[in-house]
Amino acid sequence: MDAVSLIPAPDAIPVHWFWLHLLLTLTTFLHFVAMNIMLGTGFIAFSTPFWRGNDVLPLNSHIAKVLPYSIAFTINLGVAPLLFLQVLYGQFLYTSSILMATYWLSIVGLLIISYYAAYIYRLVDEKTGLARLYIGASILLLLVVSFLFSNNISIMQMPEVWSTYFSDRTGWLLNFSDAALVPRYLHFIASAIAIGGLAIALYFEIRQRRGAKDGDEWIKLGCNWFTGATIINFGFGFWFLGALPTVAYDPATIGGKIFFILVVGSVATIIPAVASAQTGRIIPATAWALGTVLLMTLARDVLRLTYLKPYFSLPDLPYVPQYSSFVVFLLAFAGGIFLVGWMLKTVWNAKKEVA
Amino acid sequence: MNYPVWQLEFLGGGFLIAVIAIIHVYIAQFAVGGGLFLVLTEHLGRRNNDPGIIDYVRRHTKFFLLLTMVFGALTGVGIWFTISLLNPSATSVLIHTFVFAWSTEWTFFVVEIVSLFIYYYTFDTLSERKHLIMGWIYFGAAWMSLFVINGIIDFMLTPGAWVENNNFWSGFFNPTFWPALFFRTFFSIMIAGLFGFLTASFLKDKKLRTTMLRYSAKWLLVPFVLFLAASWWYRASLPPHIEEIIFQKMPQLRPFITLFMACSPLLILGGLIMAIRMPSGLSRSMAAVMLLIGLMYFGAFEFLREGGRRPYIIYDYMYSNTILKKDLDQVAEAGVLQQAKWIEHKRITPDNLGAAGRELFNVLCLSCHSIGGPLNDIRQQVRMSSPEELNLIFATMGKERPYMPPFAGNEFEKQVLIKFLNTNIRR
Repeated sequence: MDAVSLIPAPDAIPVHWFWLHLLLTLTTFLHFVAMNIMLGTGFIAFSTPFWRGNDVLPLNSHIAKVLPYSIAFTINLGVAPLLFLQVLYGQFLYTSSILMATYWLSIVGLLIISYYAAYIYRLVDEKTGLARLYIGASILLLLVVSFLFSNNISIMQMPEVWSTYFSDRTGWLLNFSDAALVPRYLHFIASAIAIGGLAIALYFEIRQRRGAKDGDEWIKLGCNWFTGATIINFGFGFWFLGALPTVAYDPATIGGKIFFILVVGSVATIIPAVASAQTGRIIPATAWALGTVLLMTLARDVLRLTYLKPYFSLPDLPYVPQYSSFVVFLLAFAGGIFLVGWMLKTVWNAKKEVA
Repeated sequence: MNYPVWQLEFLGGGFLIAVIAIIHVYIAQFAVGGGLFLVLTEHLGRRNNDPGIIDYVRRHTKFFLLLTMVFGALTGVGIWFTISLLNPSATSVLIHTFVFAWSTEWTFFVVEIVSLFIYYYTFDTLSERKHLIMGWIYFGAAWMSLFVINGIIDFMLTPGAWVENNNFWSGFFNPTFWPALFFRTFFSIMIAGLFGFLTASFLKDKKLRTTMLRYSAKWLLVPFVLFLAASWWYRASLPPHIEEIIFQKMPQLRPFITLFMACSPLLILGGLIMAIRMPSGLSRSMAAVMLLIGLMYFGAFEFLREGGRRPYIIYDYMYSNTILKKDLDQVAEAGVLQQAKWIEHKRITPDNLGAAGRELFNVLCLSCHSIGGPLNDIRQQVRMSSPEELNLIFATMGKERPYMPPFAGNEFEKQVLIKFLNTNIRR
């Protein structure tokens, strides 16, 4: 069946697509950062004791404290990009979600179990034995959820596989026909582990700056995870690049040019990030690494547009302007930032007073 | 018509969304009223200089955080996932029309998360005044979330002038916005009392337990009067045809009306009993029963609200099967199989009658009917009707059966669908 004939008609957007895309990119970036911290630190907490034994338990106590926050913020910061993705690409996203509906809906249950497992891990005093099962289960389920997200995006970008619906309408599609699916997933996971390592280093760096005496060992451990995972990720990255359709990085097209520049930019920013981390300069390393995440987020956007180019481009979306609700959102957003800033500052100062 | 249909059988007919939505909305409303409960109970403890009450608030906050932040937040995401799978067309309309209402609500959600974490973890590190401010910020953000979501939910029931002008504000401040807001606000405060019973019943100190159970009873009983007034206002604001569907024309809703009416005195009676001093084991059991009654009460209301929209998913605009009201004649003329995108058998032949009938069933019926499932089981309904009666049902859809959309296909498709029901479903 002709893929084009299956693509649903989109609904009208209330503001120019540029604004929606800006919000999509911005919130996706924030979501990726939170997700990387969540998944990466959790993975490190689970896996490090396998070869370091119980001497990493003090680190795990810190990770256990932070993990429920990072899950909460990952989910919260995931809501916004999912919203903007639906507004801009709903006709593709709803369809792909239905084609894998059973898996897609299972994400809710998997996340609930994972979240509670992380809380139990936090609440138990002893981080050995059974407790490791909780962190293990939590991380394993998050890895499954990540794969299901990768799978959905893969189906969403490839309307040419949609006709498989007619052989199974019960929502069990996994798109292994996409050669990029597995490397894309591994690339994301390795990034998360790298950023998770750096987040551990940053956390203890900040604690030390506020007077804590401990943490040197964990800063080093975090930086080593960051470096190791980044090096491995070069391998996954090249595998991912090789699995992409050549049009994705074809310099003859504008999309290909931009994608190429963004990928080169990502490499150019991750190298100083690793160098800074290895020389103990955690703040510059973090700044460079965040730059990489931002560039990769933009590359992700360009890649999606390239995949969908035969079927759709953003200016095609019907547009019926109604800006008043956008203004209300911007005001609420500014007010929200102010309130969150005030609350964090209040807590920060109170901790200083207590210390 | 525009999207593929997730071919659910047993779990079809809205069962999935009913389960997820009722649980989520119950907890989400606890997240609002419970916020007020936290901050006012802390005020009480501080004013009376009672460390027992403060300790109770701390424990209750932990329970509150674990329930609302994890289960409440994720079932909220779950509703979104579920509606986009079951009715992507309606979800798309809600998302595109209210994108900035959803995103505004998201900013309140961010504030809620930050303030609740801070509130829970800073009982000992912040000054009393600042800690209470954190609690008030949480409640303010949670209530504003309710304010925004209320506009979108009630838009589906009473879109008002939006149907003609497609204006955001007409849809948001729709005819039932204000009564529904008061209705849900008072209900959320009552739920705070119900959950208060649960945590208070676990207190070991008998005197404190009795105090907090009585205190929670006030949270249930005092707003109840206001809740009933808001219910009356809500009903009075419904357009006459919706009120008629709910209270007269839809026999399937009668059990829910009865349940709603029966639960009201049960909640009052239960609230009064909870205020009596009783052993902790008994109070815990009673608290659990009261929570369940509250869930049934609210579940019954949600069924009535959802039922009131029938035969639409967005009233007067989009039918439950996603066909737009304005497109109905055009679809009937061209045929459903020609108009729907995700159809394998565009042309009906003697060889594909069963398969085409199944596709017609998927597009036109599956959004409201399960096959052998607990909600709106089509198999049971077909078996209860003779083939002649089945023909009559089709003839009266959208007329004598106003809760069903008019049959959208052409005459040939109608016969193919009836044949499918009589052969594949009836067996």
